[in-house]
Formats: sequence, structure tokens, C-alpha cells
Amino acid sequence: MFGASRSIKAVDNVSFTLQPGETLGIAGESGSGKSSVARALVQLTRPTGGTVSLGGAPVTNLKGQRLKRFRRRMQMVYQDPYDSLDPRMSVSDAIGEALSVRGLPKTEHAAQVAQLLERVKLPATIAQRHPNQLSGGQRQRVSIARALAVNPEIIICDEAVAALDVSIRAQVLNLLKDIQHDTGVGYLFISHDLSTLRFMADHVAIMYVGRIVEYGTSEEVFSNPQHPYTRALIAAVPSVTRRGERRLKLSGEPPDPGNPPSGCPFHPRCPEAVETCRTERPELLTIGDAQKVACHVVQWGREKTPKTEVTA
Amino acid sequence: MPTDHVELALLNDAVVVVDNLSVAFPSRSGSGEVIRSISFSVKAGQRVGLVGESGSGKSLTARAIMQLIPAPGKISAGEIHVGDDLTLATVASAKKWRGTSVAMITQDPLSSLNPLVRIGVQICEMLRHHRNASRADARRRAVELLNAVGIPNPKRTMRQFPSVLSGGMRQRVALAIAISCNPRLLIADEPTTALDVTIQAQVLDLLEKMSQEHNSAVLLISHDLGVVANFCEEILVMYSGKIVESGPTQDILDGPLHPYTRALLTSVPSMTEELPARLSSIAGSPPAGGVDVVGCAFAPRCSLAQAICSEINPELRQLDDPFHDVACHAASDALWPSVRSQ
Repeated sequence: MFGASRSIKAVDNVSFTLQPGETLGIAGESGSGKSSVARALVQLTRPTGGTVSLGGAPVTNLKGQRLKRFRRRMQMVYQDPYDSLDPRMSVSDAIGEALSVRGLPKTEHAAQVAQLLERVKLPATIAQRHPNQLSGGQRQRVSIARALAVNPEIIICDEAVAALDVSIRAQVLNLLKDIQHDTGVGYLFISHDLSTLRFMADHVAIMYVGRIVEYGTSEEVFSNPQHPYTRALIAAVPSVTRRGERRLKLSGEPPDPGNPPSGCPFHPRCPEAVETCRTERPELLTIGDAQKVACHVVQWGREKTPKTEVTA
Repeated sequence: MPTDHVELALLNDAVVVVDNLSVAFPSRSGSGEVIRSISFSVKAGQRVGLVGESGSGKSLTARAIMQLIPAPGKISAGEIHVGDDLTLATVASAKKWRGTSVAMITQDPLSSLNPLVRIGVQICEMLRHHRNASRADARRRAVELLNAVGIPNPKRTMRQFPSVLSGGMRQRVALAIAISCNPRLLIADEPTTALDVTIQAQVLDLLEKMSQEHNSAVLLISHDLGVVANFCEEILVMYSGKIVESGPTQDILDGPLHPYTRALLTSVPSMTEELPARLSSIAGSPPAGGVDVVGCAFAPRCSLAQAICSEINPELRQLDDPFHDVACHAASDALWPSVRSQ
């Protein structure tokens, strides 16, 4: 209980770029580091290495006024609609706070709040309500309105629809797409739900124990997944249309990020692992002219990799 | 009436019969009903799914069967009969069949496991109490059960406290305890909602295997149609305290009749088909529980609604296919072409 403190690499050498008006999806399960990436980007936690650049200019390790200005360019919408709004503030106060950060004089707040509420398809009457009078879906829309209030370049959606009912989720996803279409905002969309990512994302990064194991366009990753973990993840999604298909199930559990396995951290659970996987960490490399994959077997070529079992 | 119903169900080998069940919470205005007269049964060994969103009453249905409705709610109408002999379920009779004949696992296994007691002690207590096993027998059986649910090192896990286990492992332990007395009915209330998708797949596989080995029927409650579609033979769709559609999984997914069921199916993005630019969604949100509704509760959000829908609540009844019931004026009216022709 009172051992020496040790650091855990939550995010390890993660690189990606986000184009304006596009959505980058980050998928992964518990311990993947996907939420840590989000927090590091908005500087809620200080990155211990590497850089983040916005529009070509580095924005890591900013302080004071420069950090404040940066924060307006990147906003976050969180998973829990019941946690991320101050229960003591009315909707118009919450959005107004963001407008003040933008430097808008109080006299102009009411008009802007009305405009933002309309943008997120909420009735104007909602402005005077408090969070406890709103449904989960309505609260998420308010969070989105608040994020939009500062005219950000990027909005990070960290499991933003996970806590919503399916029918409400569809509404909010449609709304996010409309907003992107109208304003050109970029999204970093973090989700454990692959079907949501397939709908929202232009590019996808699959994370496992702090590293990106596959990275490509949505089409590449979902229609032609290469990494054994990506394949297992996709196969595990229970689908209404593909019901009853016998699918290969992944055994075991994700490792403790504080004590990951040697070599490729996926090797204990990987149906295709060979000896090298136990000892050497694979790099994230481009395969052909398609996606990037961090897997020895894929990089050598599946057909070319000698199998470890002896066939009779 | 209920007695006839029960006798009929006995012939059909049912392990639970829910008969015109209503559950209400005290309310200053109106009935406060959150479950509004639902009826269904589950046969021995059958796998039935109860699907719905927030406010549908699906989890409350599970608790009603277990006689664990949170205060101040209570059963305001109807009856539930459980077990091979279809005993009338009451808070008093529950002591005899809860955990043995009818068992439940929930979304949060920590809530059904005592965090202050080692896992081995909890399982053994259960086995000794309900099956009168000796201490040694109970220990042996507990290790067998943990093995059967895929716990890698059962003897070590027996000595552990629930909080050190991962979500997936806790759910396996909860399943081991639930299945330990060979329940006729296992109720699984959102058992995998809090789990990673690869772990979810393992736990559902395990649930299927265990229920088959112990010949337990399963009532699986979930908001996730994919989970229910792959696990259950029959589906009941709930909306605002009522069953709005029921039938074999195949029929409901291939030919949903209720506008709500259709909307649910089309609002989830597919993993394989071509994606639309926008997901079809249902405007508005479900009505708050406990508020009295005149007519069909879905009418305010339904694109097919007509005047009658806000006046008269449609009955759940069979249309063309046997066993496929739907509660919708539009679906049952041949002159209402927009539903039938789609």
C-alpha cells in the first residue's frame, strides 16, 4: 500500500494529425490511454514528452495568457452529462461564462446564447433552466453549445454519447455532423463504440496499452483491419445484421498499464503471436499504401510468417 | 383468471409468468405507474430478451420478479409466478426461491457482492445455506464453479476481496454465485453494459454456456439490440412501461412492426453496410416514468400517429405471424398503408 511511487506510461509515443473540418476517431478499451490522450491535449495533465502543435505552432507546455488563449481553440465535451455542468448555474449562465472567456461583453450575451441554443436545436426557453431540469441528451447539447461559444478549432468528444440512450445518441451524432459541416470545426472523437466511430470518423486510431496499434482512414481500418487486436475488437461487436455468426473470441484481459507484457503488449492474447512478439516491440509502420500497423506478423506479411505449431 | 393462466403456463413448461403486472410509485397526481400492465412468460431453458431505453421499466421488471422493488414503489396490480411449480411471488415467499430457483446478476456486480467479505466465503455461505453442503463440499464446489466460469486461479480468487478483481472477473464471480444453485431462471440485468466489448463477448459466451449446462432459462435485459439479437430467441420491446412488440428474434429483427422498434433498429450505425449521411433518429425523448399517459405513449414521437393514437392505448396483439405481437393502431390497421407497405 505504501510502496515507492512509480510512473505509469499511460500514453506512449502517440502521434497523429487532425485536418480542419475532419474527425479523428480514437478507439480502445480500458487501459488503452485514449482518455489520457484527450486530457494531455487540453493540458489538463502535462505531457511528459513529445509536442502538440496547432496550425503548425507548438502548443505544449504553455502557461498563463498563452495557455488561456490556447484553451479557447480546443474545447472538450465529456461523457457524463450529469457531471460536467455546474448545477448552480442556469444554462444561459454556463454558456455566458464561455462567452466571457471569448471576450464578448455581457450586453451581447443573450443574443449569442439564443443563437447557440438554436444551433444545438434546443428551444430558447431552456436558457433559464438548471441542469437538474434537463435530460441527459439536453445536457449534452448544452455542453456542446458551451464548447462552441468560444469558436474553437477543435472539439474533443470524450465518450460524449456513451451515456445516452440509443435514440438520443443518433440525434446528437447527427447534430455534431451538422455543426462540423457548418463551421468546419475538427473533432477528436474518443469512443469505445466502434459503430459510432465508423459513422463519425474520417481517420481512426486504435489504441492498446498506451500505443497506437493501427491508424488509417475509417474505410481502411473497418473494411480491411490488419492488426489482430483491431480484428478481434471488430469481431466482438455484437451486430444485429450479422447475428448468429460464429466469431473468434479474444480470451484474457487487457494488461495492467503499470506492468505491461514484454515485447508487443498484445502478445499474450494474440492468436497470431510468434516468438519475436514476446521480445521485440513492433513499430507503427505503413503497410503498402494503406494504413499504419504496429505488428510484426503483419509487417512481414501474414503468409510469409512461419507458424510456431508443427503440423503433422 | 390468474389461476387459469398459471395452469396453462405449467403445461407450457414456464419458469416465470408475469400476469398483468403494474408497478407504481406514490404520486401526487395520477397513478404513478411506471410499469403499466405487462404480461409475458419464459419457458424452461429459453432465452428471452427485454429491450428498452431509459424509463421503459425494463430493469424495474427484473426487480419486480425478484420482489426487490426499491421503496416506496410496489406492485399495484397483477401477479408474478415463479419456479417449476409457479409459486406466487411475494416478499415472503421470496426467501424460499430467491437465489435458488430464480437468481439475478446486474450491471454492477459489486452491488451484489459484499465488498468486505472474501469471495470464497460468499460463495461457500451461499452453497451451505441453500444446499446444506458441508464446509469441505462447499469449498470444493466453489472452486469447481470458479473454474467453470473461467477464473484463472480459483483458489487464489477465493481468498480475494471483490474490489481487487477487474469488471469482467467480478461478473464471472457473480455468475458463479448466481448459477451455483441451478436456478430455473437467471435474470441478467445489463450484465455487460459496463464492460469492454471484448470482455462483453466473453461474458455473454459464458452466460450462454452456463445457462445451457445448468438448464437455466435466461431473461436478458439490455438497451443494446446487438447483444439481445445474438443471445436471445425471443425479444420483448418495452416503451414507457408497456410491452409494445414481442416475438421470435428473427421475426422482430427482420420484420419489425412497431414504429419504435423500427426506429431503434435504424438508429444504430452498422459495422458493415454503407452508412447514411445522417442516422435516422426519433425526435423528442421518452416520457418521464410515473406520469399517466392517455393513448399510446409513443404517439408524440411517432411519424405515423393519427388522432386515435392519442386517445386509445393500442392493445398488444397478434397480427399475421403467430407469436409476433405488436401494440400499435397503425400496424394492425390494413387501411393504414404506410406501415404495412414499408
